[in-house]
Formats: sequence, structure tokens, C-alpha cells
Amino acid sequence: MKSVKMDKKSHNSRSNENCSCLIEDLLENAKTDDHLCKVGPNDIEVFIDPDPEKTSYNFYIRRMTDGLPIIPPTRDRVLKFMEYTDRNPDDLLAVLPPRQGKAIIEKIAINSVMAGCLPQFMPIVQHSIEALSIEKFNLTSVNATTHPVAVCTILNGSVSREIGASSGDGCLGPGNLANATIGRAVRLCLINIAGAVPGIGDHATMGSPAKYSYAFAESEFESPWDSMHCERGFDPLTSTTTVMAVEAPHNVNDHRSKHAEELLETISHTLSTPGSNNSHVPGEVLVIMSPEHARTISRDGWDKQDVKNYLHENSLVSVELGDRGGRKLDKKWIVDGNIRITRSPNDVVLVIAGGDGRHTMIAHGFGTSSESVTLPILFKDGTPVQSVHDFKE
Amino acid sequence: MKVKVVEKDVLNPLAEIMMVKEELNPIPYDFESVSLLDNTKPGANVILELLEKNLGKRKFVRVKKPAGSPATIKQLEIAANSEIVILALGDCGSCFSWIILDAIRLEKMGRSTISICSDRFLNFAHELAKSHGAEDLNILSIKHPVAGHSKEEIEEKTLQILPSLRYLLQIP
Repeated sequence: MKSVKMDKKSHNSRSNENCSCLIEDLLENAKTDDHLCKVGPNDIEVFIDPDPEKTSYNFYIRRMTDGLPIIPPTRDRVLKFMEYTDRNPDDLLAVLPPRQGKAIIEKIAINSVMAGCLPQFMPIVQHSIEALSIEKFNLTSVNATTHPVAVCTILNGSVSREIGASSGDGCLGPGNLANATIGRAVRLCLINIAGAVPGIGDHATMGSPAKYSYAFAESEFESPWDSMHCERGFDPLTSTTTVMAVEAPHNVNDHRSKHAEELLETISHTLSTPGSNNSHVPGEVLVIMSPEHARTISRDGWDKQDVKNYLHENSLVSVELGDRGGRKLDKKWIVDGNIRITRSPNDVVLVIAGGDGRHTMIAHGFGTSSESVTLPILFKDGTPVQSVHDFKE
Repeated sequence: MKVKVVEKDVLNPLAEIMMVKEELNPIPYDFESVSLLDNTKPGANVILELLEKNLGKRKFVRVKKPAGSPATIKQLEIAANSEIVILALGDCGSCFSWIILDAIRLEKMGRSTISICSDRFLNFAHELAKSHGAEDLNILSIKHPVAGHSKEEIEEKTLQILPSLRYLLQIP
């Protein structure tokens, strides 16, 4: 990619402060080596893109990447992202721990460029960063912990469909541009704005593949129930982003259950895992249910709340196995010699996604130390963004 | 005609830091009361119990707070009833973070604090305190690891930090 720096002003406006050489003049009138103006030693400056390999390496050795190659964040690329926000480049959205980095719009755009996002993804990344800065998300601990908790971004509403975010086959990856790069942009913002650099501000003992990217959309039209954002009080037409601190997902393969209860029994057994944070400090869990599994449950007349109730009541571990976590088990969590994985049915965050197949994925959360946050995608005046094209109007 | 090929600049992805400066409270020359703020990490109670036994005849108040999460306002208020608060234990990422941040909250409430973190996380604890404007926060390091060890082993490690603690507290 090349671009030639040109100014549309006439010769008369030339000055040392503002070179205005026109390429036509240079080509037609330059008979000697003399320059057309006194500004610089060159008649033309041809600007070329930085070498991605070199830029990636330079950023990598400064600990500013996730280890994968990046798109060089040139000013013109970043400016394209600014077309999809109504904020100013230096507007401060949040201060992110542990480094107490200022999350201004321009820095979010720079990291989104690096991640490979399209400019149209900017509203999603911007609001996701805002969401994870909200107190109950506890980004301080999510970033610093030795636990392999990652930030999962879940998209609902028309904007997610418009940008092509996947809610179907393979939505957890690989293969979808929006899912792959939005999740990556969030991670790069955490590294470069928050300072969650592995071994420095991110102390995960082993990390997690989920920390590279972890984003998907809900398959709202395949769900027999209300989608997650409606459940949380948003209008179906409102687009939202939800950030949730969870482990990498674990599969629940159930091809044989024909009824709600036996299928949910399988899922609750997968959720009943000692060694998760939930097993000693109960909290949220993410349940990503395939449309096939959801229909099996729904056709027995079970609604979403029934599912959440069942999983809350039946997902548990023994006290003996549960009380081995980092925090002393609080006796208030003990019910008949067991600990429930969740504090209440509301801790079961149920999302319908995925393609054909009889699988559900579950992901344990960060215990009581973090709660998911859903934010609507809004203009700064509070109007919902119905389409990314709204920014152009 | 001279043509110069210029590689475009790349923009810096690193954020600027929000600079703040917190006023820390000096350790009082003499003191009657100490709050022991236990984040319930394995071994935190062992450390605090042994320290209590070695800090002379004073009023000690035990307070529990969650590891990896901020203390509640009520927990902080109870802890702040004493002249000095000793916080333990920061031996993992999220727990040292909230030991340090809760210590800063207590300092803002006018209390002197001493935080105990394991040596593997000591530098990070200082960095975190610095980025929150509390560069000179009192942090003592205990040998890592603490979790997964017997009471006797933890007590042995605790005895090693006693001279530093007594020095900080100006106890002969």
C-alpha cells in the first residue's frame, strides 16, 4: 500500500511552513533538479506502509502484543476507526488497573487496528472496554490473578449481526473475523492500556488460550427463549456487549438425552467441578447451549428460568473437595454437606449459540470476585446505535 | 525531481498513566491497638496469630475480608478502629492486589498499614502501590510459597519477618 502526499492548494499558497507542490507541476515543469519550494530537499515524499513483520517484532519485544503478528497502527488506519465513534480521540472512558492506564478512545482504536479489527467493530470494542471497567467486574483481580480467567465478550442485537459476528457454527473459533479480532482487541487493550502484561501485570500461572480471543454472538433467532440481553432488561432491538470473566470453555457432549431433565443432568455434572473458583466461592457460570440442546429442553415445556433453577440446584461439589481453594470456604455456602457452584439461579448465564450438533459448552467464572456486565451500544447522547452506518449520518 | 520514500509512523498503543499521589500515615511511635486483616488465604491466619503473640500486650482486633476482592466498607471501618492495620496475605495475583488496594483505602481513612505479601509478588505489590500513588506503602515480604504448607512451616517463615516488622513498628 502506497500513498503520495499531495496538497490541493495552488502554487501561490506555497511557503516554507506549508509545502504545496502539485505532482502535475513536478512532472510537467521541473526541468532541472531545483525544487519547487524551499520546504524540503525532496520534491515528492512517497509514504509507504510499515513492514508488518518489522513492526510486529518491534512491538513484540516491547511486550505490546499477544505474540501474534499485528496490523501496524498507522494514523490513517486509526482515523478510519474514529469514523465509527462519536467520541473525541482523547475522550477518557475509564482508568484501567493495574497500571492505571487511561483508556482514551484513540488508544482503544490503536489496539483495535493492531488486532486486525475492521473500523466498523470500533463501537463494540469501545463499549466492551467501558463495560470491563465497571466496579463489579473487578478488573484489578481479573487482570492480576494467577487463575486462568479470561474476558469473554458476548454480543447481542442488530449491530452484532450487521458486522458479521458469528453465533453459529464454530462461533468460539476459529474462522470469524469479528469474533477473532474483537476478542483480540479487548486483550490487547488489557495488555497495553491496563498493563496486563504476562508476568508483570497478569500473573496467571499458565495463562489460557482463551486469553488470545474470546468473543461470540448469541444466536437469538435460534433460541426458544428470550435472549440474554432481553433477560437483562434490554429491548430486543438494542445492541449490547456483555463482558464476563470466565475460564476457557469445557464441552458437554450429550447426544442421547431425549428430555430436559436428563440433558440438564449431564450439564450439571460437568459444572460440578472441584478445583474451579466456583467450588469454594460460588458465582457466575457461563452456559453456551446449542440450539439443538435448547430445543430438546424447550419441547418439554421448560423455560429459561427452569433451566437456570435446575442447574443452580443440581450443580454442586462436596465440602471436602470444595474447600481446597484459595479462599477459606465460608460456611454460608454449605447446603447438606455440599457447596453449590452458583449463589442463585441468576448466576447461570445462559446463552444460545453454535451450529448443528448436540453440544453445550460451560465455563466456570471467577467465583464471587467478578460479575458480568452488559452495556448497550449507545451514542454519547444515550441514543441506541441501531447500525454502524448511523455514525456516518 | 527527487523522490523520498518514507515509512509511515505507527502510533503508540500504550496508555498514559493516571498520576495520583496519596498521603500515607506514619507509624505511630507508640500504639495500643492493632487490627489484623485476614483475607482468608491459606496460612494468613497462622501468620497473623503468630505476629499477634509477638507484638506485646496490646489490643488486637481480628477482621476477615475476601481474597481477590475489595473489603466491604464495614470490614474497613472495623479495621480502622485500631491505630495500625496489618494485612495478610498477598501470595497470588488477585490477593496481593486487593491487599495493597485495601491498605491504600485504609491509609486514606487515616490508618497506618503494613501489608504482608510473599516475596514472589513483592515487586509487583510495590509497582501496584506506586501506580496508585502510594509508592512508600509499607509492605513486608514472607518467603513464597505459603499455601500448601504446614502450620509449623508457615510459622517458621513468619518468624523470619518478625525483626523487620518490629523495626517498622519501632518495638525494641
